[in-house]
Amino acid sequence: MTSAISQDADTSVVTLNDTSTSASSLQGGEFALLVEGAYKSYRNGSAVREVVNDISIYVRPGTIHGLLGPNGAGKTTTIKMLLGLVRPQAGRFEILGYEAAPEVRRYAGFLPEQPYFSPHLTANQVLRVIGRTLKMPKAQLEAQADKLLSKVGLEHRGKDRLSSYSRGMLQRFGIAQALLGDPKVLILDEPASGLDPVGQRDVRDLIKGLRDEGITVLLSSHQLSEVEAVCDEVTIVNRGRVAAKGDIEDLLKVAGQVLVTAEGDASHLPERVVAIAADIGNDGSRWLISIPEGSTRAIVDALDDGGFRVISLVPRRESLEEYFSRLIAGSNGVS
Amino acid sequence: MMAYRIFAIFSSIIADALHRKLFYSVFLFAGAMAAAIPFLPSYGQGVVEAVFREVALALIYVFAMVVTIAYTSTRLPSEIERRTLYPLLARGVGRGEYLLGTWLGISAVVGLTLFAIAAVTLAIGWINYDVLMWRVLLGVFAIWLEASVIAAVGIAVATVAGPVIVAAIALTFLFVGHVRSLLVDPGTLFYTLYPSLDTFNVINPVAHGDGYSAAYAATMVAVWLAYSAIALLVAASLFERKDL
Repeated sequence: MTSAISQDADTSVVTLNDTSTSASSLQGGEFALLVEGAYKSYRNGSAVREVVNDISIYVRPGTIHGLLGPNGAGKTTTIKMLLGLVRPQAGRFEILGYEAAPEVRRYAGFLPEQPYFSPHLTANQVLRVIGRTLKMPKAQLEAQADKLLSKVGLEHRGKDRLSSYSRGMLQRFGIAQALLGDPKVLILDEPASGLDPVGQRDVRDLIKGLRDEGITVLLSSHQLSEVEAVCDEVTIVNRGRVAAKGDIEDLLKVAGQVLVTAEGDASHLPERVVAIAADIGNDGSRWLISIPEGSTRAIVDALDDGGFRVISLVPRRESLEEYFSRLIAGSNGVS
Repeated sequence: MMAYRIFAIFSSIIADALHRKLFYSVFLFAGAMAAAIPFLPSYGQGVVEAVFREVALALIYVFAMVVTIAYTSTRLPSEIERRTLYPLLARGVGRGEYLLGTWLGISAVVGLTLFAIAAVTLAIGWINYDVLMWRVLLGVFAIWLEASVIAAVGIAVATVAGPVIVAAIALTFLFVGHVRSLLVDPGTLFYTLYPSLDTFNVINPVAHGDGYSAAYAATMVAVWLAYSAIALLVAASLFERKDL
């Protein structure tokens, strides 16, 4: 396939010459998804409420990027602006390196929050409608519909009306419809919402599997454990602004702190360790000691002298929940 | 505008409607009503078939408008409220394409309903009077065109309002569209610009006369196209600006 999409470098105007182009033939830019300087406000009488204020999100190809934030932070509005569901007042929106025009958006699968489909139609009928809008050949559409329903655990349910689906089944069906047409990027808004723990784990595995297949995922979620488990990078938004962004491991690393894990029979740690340690935890015979980076040698010696055995020494890392709570409290002015 | 995307929306509207009870309820009720017409008091020799045609067309008209307003007032507002249109619009379906597909789908559903009711009416007329009153189909065609215009107007309103307001405005438009001669003096500019639906009122010539000419049918189609196009352009303009 040649020159499926032509782009004027100056204007970022995209022209799709062949609507049957497969997603794999698209040449993405530096970022699979790009949101830069997004702005949206609503007027309520004389008051202006800024829902999204200069939010930028850069999603590298082949990664899972988490979009985190409390309710009303502007996550869903930002996604909707990217997908043309909400009109932005400012900002640059790109998918696979091209302006996020309708012709380009067909290469981005989307799972809305709490997805809902016509209850009168069957799963196969809904997939057929979406597939037809993507100009998928009938045979390919039928084959892919079966494959996707099987992938989300809904095999043999394609002929059932969606009114008979449970909330969790609708959620899984929502993921299947988002994957129709082999999208190169996937935008998931609360994909684990309404799922039981097993279902949540299945969705996490599915998302990781998609990354392994080369699909870029933007995952908007309230579930911090879900984001921590699957995401490579995160953008955290609060009150319509970006509060933090970057590699998840870098963000969660506590600067200048080392976590020492030690074992010993003694009921108390040596005095020298207690004096230096920033934080101490005990889990039976195992001690977790957070210490300043510069005092590592002194602590190891003190533990050794006190009859303790040092098991590991790693840079200290917060849980995403701790980090998120601290960040949101800080940006809200709570001490 | 891509025809395949419009067709996909169009076909989903039809599939959805065929799974709804409303479609079959209206059809059965209309059939029962048509079957009851011959049991009305005697109309006198020579006019009985004409009265049958007139009452049947009046019934078909009422059912057509009920079905049209019911579908139009609920379809788009519920799609917006339930967010069922997100997966389509997010993946490149244009809002204009969505509206056009929806209008064509509703028009087709109303057409199917009318055709089914008309078939039952013709059968009842034939059984009772031994005459195939095919001219009823001419009246049904005019009713369908008018219903399609009402659907376009309803869709335009539905882009910014909920079901109750859509139904109220569609009914108001229907009423206003048939009282031009009562409200406006002929020969004035306002008379010409008035959004009249009287062009589609062919019950009298169909029930009591010889129907209408091909030229008049062309006029009806032209009025249908013009009104529908204006309403859909307004709908597209409003919907493009709407944050979903």
